[in-house]
Amino acid sequence: MSSDATAPLLEVRDLVQEFSVRDSSGTRKLTVHAVSGVSFALDAGETLGIVGETGSGKSTLARAILQAPRPKSGDVLLRGQSLVGLGGRALAQARRNIQMVFQDPFGSLDPTWRVNQIVEEPLVAFKVGSRDERRKRVAEVLELAGLDPSRHGRRRPRELSGGQAQRVAIARALALDPALIICDEAVSSLDVLIRAQVLNLFERLRSELQLAYLFIAHDLSLVKHVSDRVAVMYLGKLCEIGPATALYHQPQHPYTVALLASIPSPDPRAAPAELEATVQGEPASPIDPPSGCRFRTRCPRAQERCSLEEPRLRMLGPDQYAACHFPVSEPAPVPAVAAEAQ
Amino acid sequence: MAAQPSSAGVAGAIALPLGDQPAAPAGRLRRTLKITVPAALLLLIFALCFLGPLIFAVPSPTFTNILDANEGLFSPHHLFGTDQVGYDILSRILYGGRASLEIALAVNGIGMVAGGFFGMVAGYIGGWRDAVMMRFIDVLIAFPGIVLAIAIAERLGPSEFHVILALTVFSVPAFARLSRAATLRVREETFIVAARLSGTRTNRVLLRHVLPNILPQLITFNLLGMGIVVVLEGALSFLNLGIPSPLPSWGNMIASGQTVLTAEPRLVILPSIALFLTVLSLNLLGDGLREHWSSR
Amino acid sequence: MSQERAVSPARGAELAATEPDPAAAAPLLEVENLRVDFHSAGQHVRAVDGLRYTIRRGQTVALIGESGCGKTVSSRALMGLLPRSARVSGSARLEGRELVGLPEKRMRQVRGAEIAMVFQDPTRSLNPTMRVGDQIVEAVRAHREAPRAAARERALELMRLVRLPAAAERFEQYPHQLSGGMRQRVMIAIAIAGEPKLLIADEATTALDVTTQAQIMALLRDLQLRLGMTLIMISHDLGLAATFADEVLVMYAGRAVESAPTRTLFEHVRMPYTKALIDSIPRLSDPPHMVLNVVPGQAPSLAALPPGCPFAPRCPRASDDCREREPPFSLQEPDHAWACWHPFGAQD
Repeated sequence: MSSDATAPLLEVRDLVQEFSVRDSSGTRKLTVHAVSGVSFALDAGETLGIVGETGSGKSTLARAILQAPRPKSGDVLLRGQSLVGLGGRALAQARRNIQMVFQDPFGSLDPTWRVNQIVEEPLVAFKVGSRDERRKRVAEVLELAGLDPSRHGRRRPRELSGGQAQRVAIARALALDPALIICDEAVSSLDVLIRAQVLNLFERLRSELQLAYLFIAHDLSLVKHVSDRVAVMYLGKLCEIGPATALYHQPQHPYTVALLASIPSPDPRAAPAELEATVQGEPASPIDPPSGCRFRTRCPRAQERCSLEEPRLRMLGPDQYAACHFPVSEPAPVPAVAAEAQ
Repeated sequence: MAAQPSSAGVAGAIALPLGDQPAAPAGRLRRTLKITVPAALLLLIFALCFLGPLIFAVPSPTFTNILDANEGLFSPHHLFGTDQVGYDILSRILYGGRASLEIALAVNGIGMVAGGFFGMVAGYIGGWRDAVMMRFIDVLIAFPGIVLAIAIAERLGPSEFHVILALTVFSVPAFARLSRAATLRVREETFIVAARLSGTRTNRVLLRHVLPNILPQLITFNLLGMGIVVVLEGALSFLNLGIPSPLPSWGNMIASGQTVLTAEPRLVILPSIALFLTVLSLNLLGDGLREHWSSR
Repeated sequence: MSQERAVSPARGAELAATEPDPAAAAPLLEVENLRVDFHSAGQHVRAVDGLRYTIRRGQTVALIGESGCGKTVSSRALMGLLPRSARVSGSARLEGRELVGLPEKRMRQVRGAEIAMVFQDPTRSLNPTMRVGDQIVEAVRAHREAPRAAARERALELMRLVRLPAAAERFEQYPHQLSGGMRQRVMIAIAIAGEPKLLIADEATTALDVTTQAQIMALLRDLQLRLGMTLIMISHDLGLAATFADEVLVMYAGRAVESAPTRTLFEHVRMPYTKALIDSIPRLSDPPHMVLNVVPGQAPSLAALPPGCPFAPRCPRASDDCREREPPFSLQEPDHAWACWHPFGAQD
């Protein structure tokens, strides 16, 4: 595989993904604008967190990166090599470097298979090594994922707890020694204590194996915890992307502000009263997204300009970008503040 | 794109951590009995029909002596008596069971393999190829099956093999539909996506992931469907298109017995009991297996 | 709303509901030694073991724990909503009236009118073939005889009360035409139709997005104040409890392991399991890539509980006596009960 040493590990350029659905009467064809022009880059060993609510397109983005299904337009480059033009075996070879861990640990493991077989599957698919070598590798990655090959290897998924099943899925993702793992809500369905264990596992693997992660979640606090940089998505578009610490301390996009305000704090001294300060209403439909800025229908700072002109990502801090005409760091638009003050 | 912990419904919300404790002996025993008892009964029926005549002497089912006609139950030499032309009923039930069970196994076997494979491939590949394949099946279903079966049987002439061919007209589309529906459900599972992203090829995904997950449904359907096949064969016999006389089958015994139903009800009742026991144990086994598979 | 306040929620606003009026302080619900046993397939599981708590009128109590800890089972037991294989014993008195062992006919009068419940999944709790308005009307008429027109008026009023936008229009819609958050508002409208004294919210916001969760929680709190309801919130999210509950009861393996007013609990945590829960929440103030403090292992199987304290096998403070004798759950400081032989911050 040709690769460019200077290129970032993963580069996504203006990615667009759309689906056709029929309306409820089944007569008209509608287009779901799931991902609309998303661009970012990810370096080797780096973790990018992607946050967004239901319908923000974050999982569609993950699948589109893996070309499953192929994006409508835009480009995905892995070490400088475009995946969009690749087909068949060439694409499969390129995808070796990107593995995925899904939300539902049980759903992502075939209930009729044993743990050893599940973890071996990618090795068999790529005809890696001899049978014995594969067995050794399976034991190795199971141990890396914190499982005991002799105790858990012969089990079937239903004989595992949720945390153990997710570790099996992680072991499978590690088997081919990938450079990037996409975690699609990989800890969201786990119980809190188990979630902390698995988060720590991801952290350990990152430092031991120099893995890069694309860490997709709806929970900002989780994402912040593991990410070097964080991207916030809303209705298929990037609102804001920047270093985790900066994004949390000086959010620029009003939507990021609202998301942060919605997180219940584990500290009871932080007053509960402010939850009303979050945005009202619910996201618009990705079938018919608002013109201009897609967040404007819920935005407390929205102006006429927001409905006419689509904001582009622009730099508002060191490496921090937001797509907003009236970012939080700039003086608030006058009429909105006047209205709010009352 | 559900981002949140998978939610449980009203009834399913109560999750108890039972861990990997094995089920307690009593519960497991009851579950095992639900499978072993009907399975043993079926085995017994098969053994009686296929091996019985070899072990204990019964008169030939096609040997008739008009002097022995209309013997009653428990008459000497004829345990279940004889019919109006002097055939030994016990012998005909055993040999007839052979024919009926062979037909049922063959018809559903062919249906499961051919129809199951067809439906699985169609469901998995999807798109226009699926549409074309399923329209073909729809034509088979839409065509009055019994007429088609009669046409086939009539054209080819009555014989066991031709009965099997005629009845697969029913079983193949039924299995194809079921298998496609099951495949569509399995296809959406994340583990299929995971396998494909791991680089596993389509053939292997079908064989190793889809098939094992739809097989329980196909087998259950197979067991439940066998009784219907036995009855359908009887319907063909009724039109003289089934197992050709004088060879017996449960179907043609019931069919021919109906003409003297009021005078000699046992001619219908005895093969019916055999059929009933077989269908009952097939259904119980099907249910037991379904319960067993869904509990894991 | 200024940005600063939005970013870091203003601190120090007092929990007004924490100190209720002494006159209204009579307990609404007293749960005493509640036990729920399941017998199925020859297996015996004690899902709730000796649960004890008291809720005063107008309070919000959070039942916190991981899946299978008994928080849902124990609150369903209050409403007689458990499957037949469950055996409930002990006592639960609502305003002095015993709920355990209440015949189904009388229990039906309690449900909805005295205690109501909102579930996690609004999609499955609503009938997909019925207009949402009619479903609310049905709930209204279940609790009092009312002519259709009056019930319809009341349903619309309830829809406005739960802040469903364009109530009259929504009335005619089917559940699939509503978003998840709106469906949960409909469920809340149905739950409060009988003006219950006690509302149990069973993971009512877990399936919702964060901004929607915040709206629904704000709505619940607002309704509670306006209607004088008492609220039990069942959740796995200690952060949510910290924000909304007056009191927190932490459960593990079917038992209560610690309970205290929310602030006390977070400031003087005693039981190592509660501490583990608090530690496992990633905080916004943590630097990236910080290793979380975790306890090893997983929750024990209820069918094979270890002797002694059920948390002992995972507990960093466990000693031999923990593995032999189970610590009693008892009040050890004013308002603060726990079950532990070696609590944090207590003199040994």
